[in-house]
Amino acid sequence: MVKKRFKLLATAGILLALTLAGCGNNKSADSVNNEAASAKSKEEVQTLTVYSAGPDGLAANIQQAFEEKTGIKVEMFQGTTGKILSRLEAEKNNPVADIVVLASVASMDGLKESNQLLSYQEAENASKMNRNWSDAEGYYYGYSASALGIAYNTKNTKDIPTEWTDLAKPEWQGKMNIPDPSLSGSAVDFIYGYTEAEKTAWDTIQLWKNNGLQVNGANKEALDAVITGDKNATISGVDYMAYKAKASGEPVEIVYPKSGTVVSPRAVAIMKDAKNVEGAKAYVNFLLSDEGQKLVTDAYLLPGNNEIAVKDRAALDEIPQLKVNWKGSESKQLDILTKFNDIFR
Amino acid sequence: MIMEGRRTFSLLLAIVATFAIAPLIAIVYYTFVQDGHFDVSQISRMFDNDRLWRTLGNSLLLGVFVILGTTILALPMAFIRTKTSLHKYGWLDIILTIPFMTPPYIGSMGWILFMQNNGFLQQLVPGTAWLSDAFFSLFGMVMVMSLHLFPFLYLMLKNTLLRINGSFLDAALIFGRSSLRNWLQVILPLLVSSYVLGVLLIFIKTLAEFGTPATFGSRIGFQVFTTEIHSYLSRWPVDIRMATSLSLFLLSVCLVVWYFQNLIGRKFTYSVLSGKTPAVREIKDKWYIKFGSWFYVGIVLLLAIGIPYFSIIVTSLQKVRGDGLSAGNFSFASYQALFTSGSAGLAAFLNSIVFSIVTAVITAIIGFFIALYVKKGETKKQQMLDFFSLMPNIIPGIVFVVGLIMFWNAPWLPATIYNTKTMVVVTYCVLFLPYSVQYTKSTFSQLDQSIFQSAAIFGRNSWDMYRYIFIPLLMQGILAGMMMTFIISMRELVAGLLILPPSVETGATFIYSQFEQGNVGLGMAVAVITVAMTVVFMFLLDWLQKRGGHVGA
Repeated sequence: MVKKRFKLLATAGILLALTLAGCGNNKSADSVNNEAASAKSKEEVQTLTVYSAGPDGLAANIQQAFEEKTGIKVEMFQGTTGKILSRLEAEKNNPVADIVVLASVASMDGLKESNQLLSYQEAENASKMNRNWSDAEGYYYGYSASALGIAYNTKNTKDIPTEWTDLAKPEWQGKMNIPDPSLSGSAVDFIYGYTEAEKTAWDTIQLWKNNGLQVNGANKEALDAVITGDKNATISGVDYMAYKAKASGEPVEIVYPKSGTVVSPRAVAIMKDAKNVEGAKAYVNFLLSDEGQKLVTDAYLLPGNNEIAVKDRAALDEIPQLKVNWKGSESKQLDILTKFNDIFR
Repeated sequence: MIMEGRRTFSLLLAIVATFAIAPLIAIVYYTFVQDGHFDVSQISRMFDNDRLWRTLGNSLLLGVFVILGTTILALPMAFIRTKTSLHKYGWLDIILTIPFMTPPYIGSMGWILFMQNNGFLQQLVPGTAWLSDAFFSLFGMVMVMSLHLFPFLYLMLKNTLLRINGSFLDAALIFGRSSLRNWLQVILPLLVSSYVLGVLLIFIKTLAEFGTPATFGSRIGFQVFTTEIHSYLSRWPVDIRMATSLSLFLLSVCLVVWYFQNLIGRKFTYSVLSGKTPAVREIKDKWYIKFGSWFYVGIVLLLAIGIPYFSIIVTSLQKVRGDGLSAGNFSFASYQALFTSGSAGLAAFLNSIVFSIVTAVITAIIGFFIALYVKKGETKKQQMLDFFSLMPNIIPGIVFVVGLIMFWNAPWLPATIYNTKTMVVVTYCVLFLPYSVQYTKSTFSQLDQSIFQSAAIFGRNSWDMYRYIFIPLLMQGILAGMMMTFIISMRELVAGLLILPPSVETGATFIYSQFEQGNVGLGMAVAVITVAMTVVFMFLLDWLQKRGGHVGA
């Protein structure tokens, strides 16, 4: 009899503990639920989920300015373009993103082709945006861009490279790297644009490989190797990062090869499954507005609106460009990625 | 008596099953079922992939070399700490566990910054450029991982040696012929079983490690299972089925290793506890032994702590990284930025603390009841629950993380915790439950049977029994388990990378992302603070255990 009572009480004890555990758990669950609940009660307009591929500082500044202006709270997931695309894929069963910002138009085009985006043709200032970077049907807008060049360490570099092929020369043996294109959207754009526009590009890439080109993680990782002097140059270095590092005193500079380089637009789009469409539209409008475009140039990026003056960097028309057609490039980019991986892994 | 009966069992099993077994089933399901049909094509697709074999080779090779590396570091250290006059310096043990408590990716980033071209070593000693090339190879990776994992093996070996020290050695001294024969025929055989158990665990831990392969391995192009799984999930193009099937494969490899470990453990375990507390003898060393011992300890500490921490701290203090180690290039700017209110780094760090505390509390409660139920694992049910609750120790974290993602994203679930903070806590709980179970169980096993009997006789009801007997007696073990869970949760990286909801970062993912896109100095400042807190907790843990020891004695 006594035993039975113990059993009962023990079970009660566990249940109590579980409730406690549940409470501990609920602490975080509650806050999440509350957020979700409040979002629902206020017509789901109060929060907006943005998946944004860097740059860190810019994304945070835009978030802050946007929140102050509209009162809409932004939930931000930051990652590389590769991470965001894979997250979207993994979350297909229960999508959460309202807005995606990618560092690659080709990937954005891929999302459009697979019917994941919502068209927003009436966006304010849409007509002022660079046409080559944006979708004609309003599925995405290239609100900013970065040009890809050769970022080099000013202390360790004597002969400044002026051509992509320069880096195949013996003096660069083992001294340069490239961001990993499966992580960095701009690096895929570079390989795609370069190999499309230049017939000998794959040969050059092979020469780089023979010359000890290292594939070095995401953009900042690659650039950091140059900043600290581990490497002397980064091929397909993202220019805004180099300008920013230079402004904080790091011994780094960027050149655009004379034969031309790739300008990689960063595009914003609304997801088709967006729960907060109104908020998403407001976000797009904000990015395209003069205020948003100012923030873009403050982060050393090229603005989508040509009329906005750039700050401490080369303006778009001063950068020699390769002719790149971004439309329908996503499937080709996959092949290119595979080919690149075959060479380097 | 306490914690028996079917209902208790079902309840505990239900908890463990939902959180620990379901993810594994999800992995199997996603690997073998496509569009509702059973389909094995994924397995052949996986085996056709050349990279699978290279990855398998790499992982196994790494495991074997790390066993070698940790042995070289841990075995002499264990002898030095038990057989020479250094045995009396208890604080050495805490210092020696610091490398193990340091998040592995931070340690290897420290090494990278130190050894790379124009790194700190070359700035301090110009002309060491050749070392850099030699270091960025499999050798360097094995070294970094061995320096991280050796404390684990060291503690196991040291404890065995301490136990052997007692009457076994006395007997050997009395009946043995020479000290050499005593060594070969008494000490070494007795040491073998715990050594083998230790290295097999090291092997599993190496296979499960993500941080070092992700930072160091990616740099030298050395892919292992964990990084491969992570890249199928987080790189474009995503291949979720490949990730699940690789997880399944890794899971099988670990289970096989674990099976052998069990086999060996059962076959070669001798009872070395003779009941007699080893007498502490005064050891007088010759000067060269003393010198050699200190020298060895010094070198190991320099490599395991000195170098990585030097790099981390210097980097967090640098103004212009391109200027390297030059006077006037140091400031507290990163720390100032970190402690400015609203800074992302601080928010991430605080998130880590909250997640870790919640995890520690929940696992302590569940672990407490599991430990009470399992006791010595005499019945089938107890053994089963014991096995399930300790499973996350054998199975690499990333496998669980993948499983949890698959499970909580299943379309038929009416509600999901995916993309919420609860998901993070649940994942941490699954990963770290074994710590609290183990700590509580080991304290529990020290309680004498008579306590339960007298409790059963004199106890008024079971609530009082818990309140006045079990919880106070087990408190020390529970607290130790909580501290350990807290420390380990603070450094968890791969779970964070894959499951954190938008707008939420942990200290670990913040540090990692600073390397990818942001400000390395800031990331390193967070690292320094994380590690400083960990060390404080370790001293607390030690104090707690010592105190418990006195009370128990």
